[in-house]
Amino acid sequence: MAFAKVQLDMEEKKAERQGFLSWVKLRPYAMIFPAIFIFCLFFIYPIGYMIYLSFHDWNFVSPVKDFVGTSNFSYLLSDRDFREVISNSFIYTFFTVFLTISLSLLLALWLNRGGTVYSFMQASIFSPHIISLVSVSMLWMWIMDADYGLLNWFLNLIGMESVMWLTSPEYALTSLILVAVWKGIGFNTLVFIAGLQSIPKDLYEAAELDHTPPWRRFLKITVPMLSPTLFFLTIIGVINSFQVFETINLMTAGGPINSTNTFVYYIYQYGFQFFKIGYASAAGVILLVILSVLTVVYFKVLSKRVHYR
Amino acid sequence: MKKLSFLLVLMCALLVLAACGGSESDGSAEANSAEASDGKVELTYWYAWGDKIGENNENLVKQFNESQDKIHVTAEFQGTYDELHAKTQAAFAAGNAPEVTQNEIASIGVFAKSGMTQDLTSFVENDEEINMDDFNPGLMGNSYVDDKLYGLPYLRSTPIMYMNTTLAEEAGLDLKGPSTWEEFEEYAAAFTDGNGRVGMSLPIDIWFYEAFIAQAGGSTMNEDGTEVAFNSKEGAEAFDLFRNMSNEGTMKVSAGTEAGEKARQDFVNGHAGMHFSSTADLSYLLQLAEEKGFELQTYFMPSGKETKVPTGGANLVMTSGLDEEKQQAAWEFIKFMTATEQTAYASEFTGYLPSRLSAAESEKMQALYEEKPQFKVAVDQLENGVARPMAENYPEVVKIMIDEMTRGILDESIPTEEVLDTAAEKANAVLK
Repeated sequence: MAFAKVQLDMEEKKAERQGFLSWVKLRPYAMIFPAIFIFCLFFIYPIGYMIYLSFHDWNFVSPVKDFVGTSNFSYLLSDRDFREVISNSFIYTFFTVFLTISLSLLLALWLNRGGTVYSFMQASIFSPHIISLVSVSMLWMWIMDADYGLLNWFLNLIGMESVMWLTSPEYALTSLILVAVWKGIGFNTLVFIAGLQSIPKDLYEAAELDHTPPWRRFLKITVPMLSPTLFFLTIIGVINSFQVFETINLMTAGGPINSTNTFVYYIYQYGFQFFKIGYASAAGVILLVILSVLTVVYFKVLSKRVHYR
Repeated sequence: MKKLSFLLVLMCALLVLAACGGSESDGSAEANSAEASDGKVELTYWYAWGDKIGENNENLVKQFNESQDKIHVTAEFQGTYDELHAKTQAAFAAGNAPEVTQNEIASIGVFAKSGMTQDLTSFVENDEEINMDDFNPGLMGNSYVDDKLYGLPYLRSTPIMYMNTTLAEEAGLDLKGPSTWEEFEEYAAAFTDGNGRVGMSLPIDIWFYEAFIAQAGGSTMNEDGTEVAFNSKEGAEAFDLFRNMSNEGTMKVSAGTEAGEKARQDFVNGHAGMHFSSTADLSYLLQLAEEKGFELQTYFMPSGKETKVPTGGANLVMTSGLDEEKQQAAWEFIKFMTATEQTAYASEFTGYLPSRLSAAESEKMQALYEEKPQFKVAVDQLENGVARPMAENYPEVVKIMIDEMTRGILDESIPTEEVLDTAAEKANAVLK
């Protein structure tokens, strides 16, 4: 120790002599350089480039990028389709997250106990999570087929009219939400169960001694103790839902009549089908802004209510 | 402090996730080495569509690889035309585009004008072997951009009408088929039995609409490709043809990503008496008809005021920016794929048009026409072929048209003029 101290002192003296470019002062920066470099290369640079492109008119290939100022943005904001895209994204996100979270919380409360039946149920509910989204989309396209699908066959069986699940503008978004909820419930339930199991049992025992009714136990013990989990799942859910792509690409291609077009699909469409990368980047920037604002607001408003142990 | 750093990390993660959407690109791994270990020039060739069409591509590439020992081509399947185009573009931007790929003919303009494909004019001029006059002139309309040659006709098609003649006989219909719009409506009504069977199941599709407009005597776009022209009397007649039939219930018009596949299923399962589709589906449909046990005949598309059909399919193109050696190799490959013998092979294998006159006249094709007259319809119909629009922003125009037509089909109360005017207004804004 003493030796190290002496060496450090010497180094520091040397550092003073050599001015501010000394190794001692640079060392921390050198240490974090690899991480920062990778971060900048893969995170900061693409975002910067996207923002740069959003002010240009470019087709991805031509050597010239025409600077067009903010016209991409003004065109976007005046585009009726884009306004639909924004509202579709919000509707999709709100209902997907709300339904997934509330259903999985109920399921978690029900399934949070031992026994073969319950562990079998847990595994079954989790299984959609491990199926790739492409397979899920194909499966549901078959189930939701308007003429030959299983779902309409069942509706007809119980005396209801067939529904054009994916091919009518009224129902298409709802159908996609349904698929997202079906797919998301497993993972959320599992995380909730883990959260429930980490709540100390003595809290419930104490409550029982005081004859606290079950719903009060739920509201005063379970919910506060689960709040970090709830918070985590909500924010992940919101971000994921805003970026939904696979199901839309395969099941509806944003249609019919734009009724299921959401942010990332819209960006893909303009970038890779219409070859307007500047315009697509501008939409990407707007998505970035919306998600950032949402996250910050969410943290500001809700983090106070989250109970961290 | 801890919370703040967590927030920062989350914000960064968020930025990244959002950025993924903007700069998503297809990281298709492919061999970039100019020469493989055995000294052959390595080329990659991308194609669209599977089933019979995919097999045909794989077989022809195999033939090419076996026919010589200087070039080796790897064929890769890339999905539908739209997917193929999107992937080609992404790969081009990433610097690893395939040397040879297909352009759906309406997209020749986009690719050529944005500099992704190679001008082939000089290759033709410097090559004594190739005889450009042998290509069917009806198919060359979508090969030239600004008077420069960008693609050679490869798997080319026209829409034709298929009819389930077993059902037609049951319905007491004449097997010579409908030749006018009026007759087409009569046939459709006769097929409709009110019990799930309709005259035709049709996807809302731009290609068929282009056909109807041309038959009504109009056109989809003006000649320079600067404005749309479908918001005309002819465009309205064309749209009303299938809109009215949809309202009367003699035609099932469906939207969505699976609409085309569904129309085919309806036809194959006997839920629709007639079917519009590319001639490329002929082999496949004949095979399905045999499995399902019904007779299948092919016909010209019904005529309106005029007898016209758009052509379709894909041209072979070379991507730009290749070195000399690869260009020559790619040219050899393109030449092979579009040569008389291969053209006849592809035509017989799939039902695509023989794009070379010499192929259509070859003994092989003549024997086939004798045996299966269904194959000859598309060839004869090609006399009436018109080129597809090639405007740079046409893909976006198509999306607008499909959206507005879907709106019109789903909501009977919107007047036809309004449907088309709304679409035209939006489309013209895009074309500017």
